[in-house]
Amino acid sequence: MSKREFITPIGEEGIYILDTASWRAARPVMNKDKCIECGICLTMCPVNAILREGPKKYFISYDYCKGCGICAYECPKKAIDMVKEGGE
Amino acid sequence: MSYIDTIADNKDLVTPGMSACHGCGGELILRRLLKVAGPNTVICIPPGCMAGAGVVGWSFDNGLKVPVHITLLDNTAAFLSGVTNIYQRQGRTDVNMVAMAGDGATADCGFQSLSGAAERGEKMLYVCYDNEGYMNTGFQRSSTTNRGSRTSTTPVGSVIPGKPQHSKNLPYIMAMHNAEYVATASPAYMKDMIEKIEKGLAASKNGFAYLHIFSPCPTGWLHGPEVSIDVSRKAVQSDYFQLFEVDKGVWRQTVANKKPITLKEFVGPLKKYGHCSDADIAALQENIDARKSFLQKMIG
Ligand code: SF4
Ligand code: SF4
Repeated sequence: MSKREFITPIGEEGIYILDTASWRAARPVMNKDKCIECGICLTMCPVNAILREGPKKYFISYDYCKGCGICAYECPKKAIDMVKEGGE
Repeated sequence: MSYIDTIADNKDLVTPGMSACHGCGGELILRRLLKVAGPNTVICIPPGCMAGAGVVGWSFDNGLKVPVHITLLDNTAAFLSGVTNIYQRQGRTDVNMVAMAGDGATADCGFQSLSGAAERGEKMLYVCYDNEGYMNTGFQRSSTTNRGSRTSTTPVGSVIPGKPQHSKNLPYIMAMHNAEYVATASPAYMKDMIEKIEKGLAASKNGFAYLHIFSPCPTGWLHGPEVSIDVSRKAVQSDYFQLFEVDKGVWRQTVANKKPITLKEFVGPLKKYGHCSDADIAALQENIDARKSFLQKMIG
C-alpha cells in the first residue's frame, strides 16, 4: 500500500487503476492526412484517451484506450481506422 | 473557452483505468461532469455501474482524485444534503456539491430522498445517468425502462412482450419541484451537455439543480459500443429523449428537432427492442407524442 496522508483519500496518492488497455481487441489509428484537427473524437471518447497537444493537435494515447471504436465512428472525416491488435 | 477547450484542457479527475464497459455512457458522463466541476468538488455516488466500475475506490485506494462518498442506493440526496449543509454553515460555498447516480438509485430506490432534497432546495447538483435499468446487476427493469424493452425481469415470451408499462418521466417530475435548474442532456449533443453542467453547477450555489442524462449501455441494450453516441443522437432525433431545460421555472427546448426521424430508426440497432412489433412501436410512439405535446404546452 502506498503512503497515505488522509483518512479519506484525496489527491493523486493511492489511486485505484485498472489496465484497460489490455481489453483492446482493435486499436484506433489516426490518419493525419485526413484529420482536420476538429477535436470531435476527443470530446466523445469515454476514457479520455484522446489528448490535445498545443492549441490544435489531437492524438490518441494507448495507455488506457479500451478500443470501443466511438472515435472512429464519430470522426466526421473518417480519419480514424480500427486496426486489429496483435497483427493479422 | 469553447466546450472542446474545457474537455481538452481541464484535468481528468477520474482514475485513468476503470472497469466500465466498452462504449459506456456512464463513464463518458462522469468524466465530463468532473472536467467541468473541477478539483474543488465533493461527489456522492451510490451503488450502480459507476460504483461497480471502481470510481468510489477499492481496497483503501480511491477511484477519483476528489473526495467521493459511496452512499446507499436510496439515500444519495439525503446524504449529500447533510454534507452540503455543513459546508454551507462553514462558509465553504466555493465547493461544488455533486451527486451522480443511475436511474435505479434516482427514480426508484432513491426517489423519496431526492424529492425531499429538491423540495427543501438543498444546494447541490444531482446528476442522473439514465441507462433505463439496473445494469450493474444484470439489466433488471427500472421505472425509467421504456415500454417494450426486454430486461432480465421482463423477458420476452408468451406472457409479456418485454416491459408492459411505460416509463416514468423523471425530468418532468423533478421540474415540478420548483428547483433552481432542471435539464435533460445527451452525450451526442456535447456542447449542450457541457453548458447544462455549467448552468447546473452555478444554480447549485443557490438551490437544487437536477440533470437527467441519456446514458447508452451497449452491454444491456445490446448494441455495438462504437454506436453509443449515434444511439444517443438518434434518441434525440426521434424525440424518444427530448432536450430541454427549466431555468427558475422557465421552460425552453434547447435542441429543436424540426425534422424528426422515425422511432424505428432509433430502436433499430437496439436488440432490447428487437422483438417489438409495429403495434409495440406505435404504443411507444403514442407515449412519446404525449410527452412532446406536454413539453410544448410548458414552453407555451
Ligand atoms: S474527429 Fe477526426 S478529424 Fe477531428 S480531430 Fe479527431 S481524428 Fe481529426
Ligand atoms: S477506441 Fe474508444 S477508448 Fe479508444 S480512443 Fe477511441 S473512443 Fe477512446
